[in-house]
Parts: sequence; C-alpha cells; structure tokens
Amino acid sequence: VTETAQTQRQQENPLLEGLRLQRTPEPCALVIFGASGDLTRRKLFPALYSLALRRLLPQNFGVVGVARSEESDDEFRERMKHAVQEFGRDEFRDETWEWLAGGMRYVATDFADEPGQDRVVEALNELDRERGTAGNRVYYLAVPPAAIAMLVHAIGKRRSTDGWTRLIIEKPFGHDLASARELNQQVLEHFDEHEVFRIDHYLGKETVQNLLALRFANGIFEPVWNRQFVDHVQITVAESIGIEGRAAFYEEAGAIRDVFQNHMLQLVALTAMEPPIDFTADSVRNEKVKVLRALHTPGPKHIVRGQYGRGYIEGEEVPGYREEEGVGPDSMTETYVAAKLFVDNWRWADTPFYVRSGKRLARRETTIAIEFKRAPHPPFEVTEDDGLRPNVLVCHIQPDEGVSLEFAAKVPGQGMTLRTVHMDFLYGGAFRTGIPEAYERLLLDCLLGDAKMFTRSDEVEEQWSLVDAVVAFWKRDRPSFPNYAAGTWGPLAADELLRRDGRTWRRR
Amino acid sequence: VATALGSVSQIDRELARLRVDPESNEPYQRTSVMTHIAWVPGEWVEAAEDVLAGLAERHPSRTIVLVPDREADDALEASVQVDCFPSGQGRQVCTETIRLRVCGARAGVPASIVQPLLLPDLPVFLRWRGLPPFGERPFEELVDVVDRLIVDSTEWPGLPKPYERFADVFDRAVVSDIAWARTSRWRPQLASLWPGIGGVRRIKVTGTEAQACLLVGWLRSRLGRRVELEHEPSDRLVGVEVDGESAPFPPGDPPDPADLLSDELDRFSRDRIYEEAVRAA
Repeated sequence: VTETAQTQRQQENPLLEGLRLQRTPEPCALVIFGASGDLTRRKLFPALYSLALRRLLPQNFGVVGVARSEESDDEFRERMKHAVQEFGRDEFRDETWEWLAGGMRYVATDFADEPGQDRVVEALNELDRERGTAGNRVYYLAVPPAAIAMLVHAIGKRRSTDGWTRLIIEKPFGHDLASARELNQQVLEHFDEHEVFRIDHYLGKETVQNLLALRFANGIFEPVWNRQFVDHVQITVAESIGIEGRAAFYEEAGAIRDVFQNHMLQLVALTAMEPPIDFTADSVRNEKVKVLRALHTPGPKHIVRGQYGRGYIEGEEVPGYREEEGVGPDSMTETYVAAKLFVDNWRWADTPFYVRSGKRLARRETTIAIEFKRAPHPPFEVTEDDGLRPNVLVCHIQPDEGVSLEFAAKVPGQGMTLRTVHMDFLYGGAFRTGIPEAYERLLLDCLLGDAKMFTRSDEVEEQWSLVDAVVAFWKRDRPSFPNYAAGTWGPLAADELLRRDGRTWRRR
Repeated sequence: VATALGSVSQIDRELARLRVDPESNEPYQRTSVMTHIAWVPGEWVEAAEDVLAGLAERHPSRTIVLVPDREADDALEASVQVDCFPSGQGRQVCTETIRLRVCGARAGVPASIVQPLLLPDLPVFLRWRGLPPFGERPFEELVDVVDRLIVDSTEWPGLPKPYERFADVFDRAVVSDIAWARTSRWRPQLASLWPGIGGVRRIKVTGTEAQACLLVGWLRSRLGRRVELEHEPSDRLVGVEVDGESAPFPPGDPPDPADLLSDELDRFSRDRIYEEAVRAA
C-alpha cells in the first residue's frame, strides 16, 4: 500500500521524479517487554540509536520500556544511554540521543494484571499525544518463552483500534512442534500472520542476505548449484564461547534448540531454496518452507551430539560444561550437534548437507561451503601430497565476512605441479562502509511492515518437526558425555559421520 | 612509500614490489572496485589530495592522479603508493595510488598514458577538477576511455554558459556533478511544497552560482514552465525562497566533499533529471 501510494504521489508531483527518497516508517511507538534484559541493552537500543542517527526512524516515534524492576523514566533513559555508549557502533551524539530519549517512557509491570496494563496503555496514549505516534504500535517480546503466551493474550485484548499493530517475538518460538503450534494458534487468535514478526537475527545479517545476492543476482552460480555439480554442502555454526551464564536457558534448550532449530535450518533453507519469483515476504518464505518440508535425516547414525569437557581456548584453560555454574554434574544437555541432512527434491536428491554447530569449538566461525564434484579426468599426474582439493565455494557469514572460491592453479616452474589457491572477496575490503547490525535491519524492516527476513508460522513448525524427529532418536540412547574437549572441533563421532562417506570436515 | 618512476613498466614493477609485506614476504590482499582517475591541474592539487585522503579507505580502487604541466619539458614523472587498511581479523586490504606528472607534449595525450594502467574489467571514473577544456584533446580523449565523468560545476567560472558545452558530453559518458549532489538535501524540501510550488514564478537561491543555476534548471525542466532566478552569493546553499516564501530548511548536516565524491562513485546509471536541469539552467 505504501509503495503504491508513493508511486501515485510521484505521478502527481513531477518534482519527486528521480529523487532518491528513503522509505521512512510511519509514525509509531515501540513497546519493549523485557526492557531490563541484556538484549535490550546490548542490541535493541544500540540499534535504535544507529537508526536514529541515520534518520531512518519516523519523526514521530517513541519507545516504552516494560519490565518488572522498578525504575523511573529518567533512570531508564540513563541506563540505555550508557548501553548505547558501550555497545553502539556509531559515535555518540548528544542531539541524536536527546531526540530518542525525549520519546522514552518506562513502566514497571509484568503486564499480567490490569493496573500494569493500564499504565502501559496510558504511556502509549501519552506518546500519541506528545510525539504524534498515531496509535501505531510495535510490541517487541524480548522475554523468556514462558511469558510469551500471556503477553500475546494481554496485548491482543488491548490492541489499539486507531492504527496498526505488529508483534516481534524473539526465539525460541516454542520448545517442540506441539508447543510451537499451540503458540502459533494463540498468536493467530489475536493477530494476522502479516502482523507477526518471528525474529531470527541471523536473517538480518548482511552476509546471510548476500547469499541471496550471490545466488540469484549472478548468472554463473545457479546453473551449477545442484546435485549434478555439487558433491555436498557443509554448514558450520561454531562458537568458541561457552554458555556465558545462561545455564537455566541452555539446560532446557541445548544446541539443538538454541542454534540448530533456527539459525542452522534457516541457513540450509537459504542455501537450498529455489529462486523466488520476486523479493517479497511471501515469495521468499514460500521457497524456504518448501526446503524445510523436504528436509530429512536418514537416521540416528547420521546425527551426532556432544558435550564439551575441560579444555583450552586461546591458551586459557576453561571448565567443562558440567562444571559451569548452574549445570548439574550429570547433565545430558548437548552443546554440539552434527547431522547429515537430505533435501528430497529434484535439485538436491542424494546430495548430503552436513551441518554442525557447537559451543567451545576451536574458533568462532559461521560458513556455508559448497563443495563441487572433482574434475572427471584431470590430464595431469596429481599425487595426494600435492593436496589438490575439489573446488569449494565458501560463504563466510562471520567473521571475515565474504566469499571465497578454491581452485587449482599451476605452481610456477618446470613440470605441471598443481596447488589449490583461494580467490577471496572480502566484504569489508570491497565495501568500506560499516556493516549494519542485524537488529538495525530487522527493527527497521518491522517498522516498515516488511516480513521477508522474519520466519513464518509454517517455517517454524517445519523446523520443529525435524528437531522433534532428532530428539526422538536421542531418547533411545545415553551417550557418554563429555565427549569433546573445549577448544577442539567436536566429538570424534562427528568426523566419523563424514569419514563413512569418504569425506572430511573443512578445517581452516 | 613513494619512488620517482619514468615509465608505465617501471610503475607496474614498483606496484608489484610494494604489494608484498616486507615483514612476512606475503602479498597483501589487493581489493579494487574501480579505477579512479583524477585530472588535477596544479592549482587544484591541494584540494584534490584532501578529498582523496578521505576516499581511499571507502572505495578501494586504483587511483591515478594526473597533474598536467604543459610548460615543462616533455617528461613523465610518477610515484606510486600502496596503502593498507585493516579488514577483518588480522587481515589487511591494500589500495594503490599512482601520481603522474605529465609534462610538455605528454600532457596533451593522457589517454595513452592511463590506458595501460586501467584495471581490467572494472569501471573507470574520471574526476575532472576545474572547468573542462571542452573540445581540447586531453579532455576529449579521457572522456572516451571512462565510464563516468565527475565534475563540480561550482569550480566553473561564467555559469550558466559552460553548461551548454557540458550537455554535449551526456551521450558519450555518464556524468555526475558534485554541485548537483549538494542540492540533494534541498530538492525533497522543495518537492514537499507541491502542489503550491507548481505555479512558482521566481526563486531566490542563497548559495553558489552552480547551485542556483541547477535548482532553477531543475524546477524549469520538471514543471515545464518559466521560472525567474535571483541569486544571492554564498559559499554554501543556505536558503531557497519560492515566490518570496522561505522553503523549509533540510534536516541534518551537509555532507563533506569526500562523502559527496564517495556517493557519486557508488552510482553507475545516467541521471536524466540532472541532464534536463543542466539543459534548462
């Protein structure tokens, strides 16, 4: 509707022709539930400040922070100011902050009782009057999963009738298929699907979006992006950090719910999806959900779970998972998952997708590696020692964002000695402007009503149904944990998973 | 690192030498998204260096700075420089600057000097400082080897007359004018006055002569009507009146020269709105 209106305005007003006008969101108020939490401090406010600095927020804008802890408006402003100064990526400008802070309110409530809800509504009405936010609302639920259903119900009952309402829900969305379905039903009782923005911050990363550009804006990759040319795909989401004091959450979630169910499966979907007919939310998500529906893992033998024991990270000894504060000495929670997956469709039949994700691994790295089939008959004498490897196209999601291609080249000199070399595109090398944080992009998209980079209810459910199948396998056995040392690349069984197929994990 | 060089092959050899880290003996990663040529007559050298310093890190490219000196004896004097910038964890990317003093008759045939130095298959941008000598060989030659010509008509004396000759270039190379870019904050403000501004008869522009000419040319060409111009000289665009009424002042700070040039280097397509504004200026 907004784009049509803009085109119409342009047709009427000849002065608009050729102007590079940024799409600015309509006036609105953002309500953050969980305003005293880490996410608000480390990510949301620094993102809001960066958007304000670039004048990407609407002129008529306000934020209401909601949390249980008692705090005044001014204390909330002061705390968030420090957060922006500490975690923001931009220089701190008083005038920008003053503008943002002028529209900030804080309400101390858990939102479960009527008086608390009244005070939030009152703060919003005040913003409508004083900041012209026009009854439009974005509710950001940055709260533990247990609180979501209650909030959705309470917000739904009291949703503003004057403007539009949008709901951003942080992951994890449910803890299995049944709970995700139930939550989807509860949400959809009060909101339409187009009003719901289930956030997976990986989708807001520039390099994840660049995967779509790489695949669909270039003629050379798509013709070979299939089972005929690709030997297999490896996706790694590795972290070197441990659980960072989040034992209560992690004990419930484990690696499979923390990363595999969301970030990992989204990366698989973006890698394997068919080209969408256009770049609208539903076209992109229709293609992703087809991949998720076609995903399967051939059986328990093809899934490996692990838990880290004591080891070394960057030369420093770190405790094992069972020694972390809040974790039981006999915890069976997995901190590592590796799996062999198949996408059962025409493009990918019989092409394995090996995925792995874990904590306390050797380095922080998120990569998607497309390993191509070897040249069928190289006319050169090549020995194993030459280290000639198949061509690999690697998308580096983080760190060192970029794309590299490995190919064989002749070593200068007599004879025909071959060596694998890298052709690198380094994101930060070609584009020297700062890369926006994922939350900036996603918050702005939501304010603009663009749900392309958010997960739809059917995607979430498909993701959970695969996870449920894996968890069902796991109920039948009890592995011996810990089974990998911190600072290594995971359990030996994960190496065995590929070795059985005559392949190995990529190492850098 | 800078060394005096006298031929293209010497330049190539020196660049290859500088591309290797003397400590590790490993080559730096070279990143280039374009070749950027700057034609900088002596009087513009200082201003041009200031802008280039702010630009190198944002647009990794091979930059060729041509400083013509027709009065000197026939010679080519070059120096090269490789600058490295941190990128990612422990990695660096490097960009290259080639400074060429083209003396005597060589200043008249610059295309033959720059063509062997262009990076293959990448776009070539030419920043021409001052008023281009339309019809003269150095300018005409270089226009034919570049994809995009960037000028700043604020640097041109006797406006709006030179715009007539400039319009002849539009079909040969895509052009950018930094003076036009400097009006970009004001044009949405004026557009917001629609429909009232549709019947404008006279505008008063407090800014440079180029900004005044381009803004009135823009209104004339877009509205298809005669609009009178009153110009109040100022070194920056600080006000526009439409039939005696002040237009709203645009929010934010005006961009600095390196930002303006940087933005133009991101654009590749022809700006027909600008071309029509120039023709109507």
